[in-house]
Amino acid sequence: MPQPPPSAAAPTADDADAQPASATAIPDAAGNPVLDVLDTAELLICIGSGGVGKTTTSAALALLAALRGRRTLVLTIDPARRLLQALGLSDATLPANTPLEVLPRMAAAFNRPEPSHYDGGVTHAGSLHAMMLDPENGAVAMVERLLPDDALRDEVLGNRIYQALLPALGASPDLVALELIADLHRDGRYDLIVLDTPPAHNTMDFLQAGQTFSNFINERVLKWFAKVPRRDTPQKRSLFSRGGSVAMSVLGRLFGAEILPDIAQFFYSFRDVMPRMRERNEQTDALMRSDVTRFVAVTAPGATSLREAAHLRTLLRDESLPFAGFVVNRVLQAPESLSSDARLNTVADDLARRLQATGLSAPEAQNLAARVQEGAHRLRFMDRADRQQVASLQELAGTDAFCTVVPQMEHDIHVLDELRDLAERLVSGVQ
Amino acid sequence: MRHLLDRHILLVTGKGGVGKSTVATTLARRASRDGKKVLLVEFESVSRAAPLFGMDAAPVDPVAVEPGLDLMGFDLLYSLRTFATDQLKLKTLVNMALRNDTVRGFFLAMPAIKSVLFLYHLHRLERIHGPDGDGRWDLIVCDMPTSGFVAGLYGVPTMVRQIFRVGPLATTADDMGKLLFDPLRTGLVLVTLPEEMPVVETIELRNALRAKHGIDTAAIVVNGVYPTLIDHDEMVALAAAVGEGTELTDDPDGIEGMLWAAGVLGRRRDRAVALLPQLRDAAGGRLIELPHLFRRTLPLTSIDELADSLGGTLKGS
Repeated sequence: MPQPPPSAAAPTADDADAQPASATAIPDAAGNPVLDVLDTAELLICIGSGGVGKTTTSAALALLAALRGRRTLVLTIDPARRLLQALGLSDATLPANTPLEVLPRMAAAFNRPEPSHYDGGVTHAGSLHAMMLDPENGAVAMVERLLPDDALRDEVLGNRIYQALLPALGASPDLVALELIADLHRDGRYDLIVLDTPPAHNTMDFLQAGQTFSNFINERVLKWFAKVPRRDTPQKRSLFSRGGSVAMSVLGRLFGAEILPDIAQFFYSFRDVMPRMRERNEQTDALMRSDVTRFVAVTAPGATSLREAAHLRTLLRDESLPFAGFVVNRVLQAPESLSSDARLNTVADDLARRLQATGLSAPEAQNLAARVQEGAHRLRFMDRADRQQVASLQELAGTDAFCTVVPQMEHDIHVLDELRDLAERLVSGVQ
Repeated sequence: MRHLLDRHILLVTGKGGVGKSTVATTLARRASRDGKKVLLVEFESVSRAAPLFGMDAAPVDPVAVEPGLDLMGFDLLYSLRTFATDQLKLKTLVNMALRNDTVRGFFLAMPAIKSVLFLYHLHRLERIHGPDGDGRWDLIVCDMPTSGFVAGLYGVPTMVRQIFRVGPLATTADDMGKLLFDPLRTGLVLVTLPEEMPVVETIELRNALRAKHGIDTAAIVVNGVYPTLIDHDEMVALAAAVGEGTELTDDPDGIEGMLWAAGVLGRRRDRAVALLPQLRDAAGGRLIELPHLFRRTLPLTSIDELADSLGGTLKGS
């Protein structure tokens, strides 16, 4: 198994004096799979379970793409301040569903001349926009886009059921995010869109959001409710006397017959937009599978996340979705020198002698050295687990995908230099 | 104040990756070892608890995994079938209807369906088998999805009530509301790591739930607190002992590695300690600290170690 270089691995600097990234060269693309993806993809979708550093990874990848000359947008659903913080913009407020350009501020944050200085040899300067997804407003906008006719729009937006369902749509932002990136991609204003996927229950929910929505609103469902008299229909008809389907009878008994006219009205108001919805779903689905899209699975140490990463890899393969690689965050990367017990023993003895030489009593010195050794021993235990996990992920990645390893940072990323440093680690950490 | 484990239901949530499952399992294990009959419910489809007990997945119907501890996994389709059968009283009709792709797809695609069915299922388990039912379980511990989902859960009864003013779902919504908002029955446990962002978000969530829904968090659990192995004075002594001007050793890299370890542990401990006061404030005396065990994967023995470490901290939660 290739070992990461211990010098790069060991975060020896104290929190207060972490070294900023070098002000010079943007990493060279030659053969680096991460840079290759950043230079060629149009849609980069970061997937993975929560708490693995997905938002920060997305921001770092977007930053690097922008520095390499691409017009880049990073879209997140996490609280805006996290992304803003990572982009060195913690004082600004990021308006929902509106791209905000961060590159001019980025130049200021770097305290350096124009960003074109960092264009990595590309002739035009890139740009970086950030955007926060507000699912509830996004859901309203999505429905409004679907309903071009004013009367129909008023009908849907005024529907009691639609109004009650809005917060629920907001709580499941998958579809809104999918629709938004498809629109933005179509729009062509950005060379690359990086999506920090919503913290879905699982990635499948996200990928199938369009399909799920059509399962809810489609012609067949409409047909069930077509038998129900709507509130605006003058003649009252008995619900079950007209030979309603089994499904209809189930619906009536589950929801209560009284409510069915309202539900019928809700579905009826979508009658004219179904073909349009289906068309959009098909387009979004095609975009996901096209060669301009890449999926990056972000993960972190732990057996569960390894299992999930393996699951994601299989899922993408089964769905024929283009997988770019794994990003393994928060890997301990202990120095090589901690790897053998015998060596730890010798070094601990040495340490005790040196402590004694500075004035500690023999028992004091031995006790302290023993505790340091114990600490080193514990970290090594975790480090071994991490290395095994990285090896498994490398194997899973195979030859056509990358596996890049990022060491555990000693604190959250607050300033842009740290984000840029992280971006470079994403490139240099390819195993 | 009531003992944390004396409630009927605990909902355990937090940001992704903070150790919700570990904490839920620890609390369940602790209660069962204290003599309670406990059910651990996992919401996510990939079970984290099942492997601890030598199983691949958590079954949809509770099974005993240890004396006093049962395990089940929430399954959307199974819950839908249960709900529909309860309402329609005709199992064959339900099975027939749900075999139809359109029908099944429609129900599973309904907005907030996961929340509604989960609450329904939970309410049913508690009513039938809780302390006020047949007493099969004293406590149901739920390993929930991330905090965003759980925050949304508190709005679900109202939403359902708005849509279904009468009928079976309206009644169900009322039952769900009673279950969620009765602090003697249901307690919310927020899990965090001793790290800046999770701590800030935990405190914000606690405040938001109180302001918006009047929910008082039953306990905040801070997971993975590094122990103090080496204190500040000792770090200074170590630096002096290996610093400039001291004699070269046979293994400078080895010494450097040891200091790296001491530094990492010291910084993480410092960072955790710095964050504890604000968590303690927010938790109002209901903060539970769990130690870092220096493992990436926790076997059952480690869970029990954590359960033991709870000691008296649960009293008066």
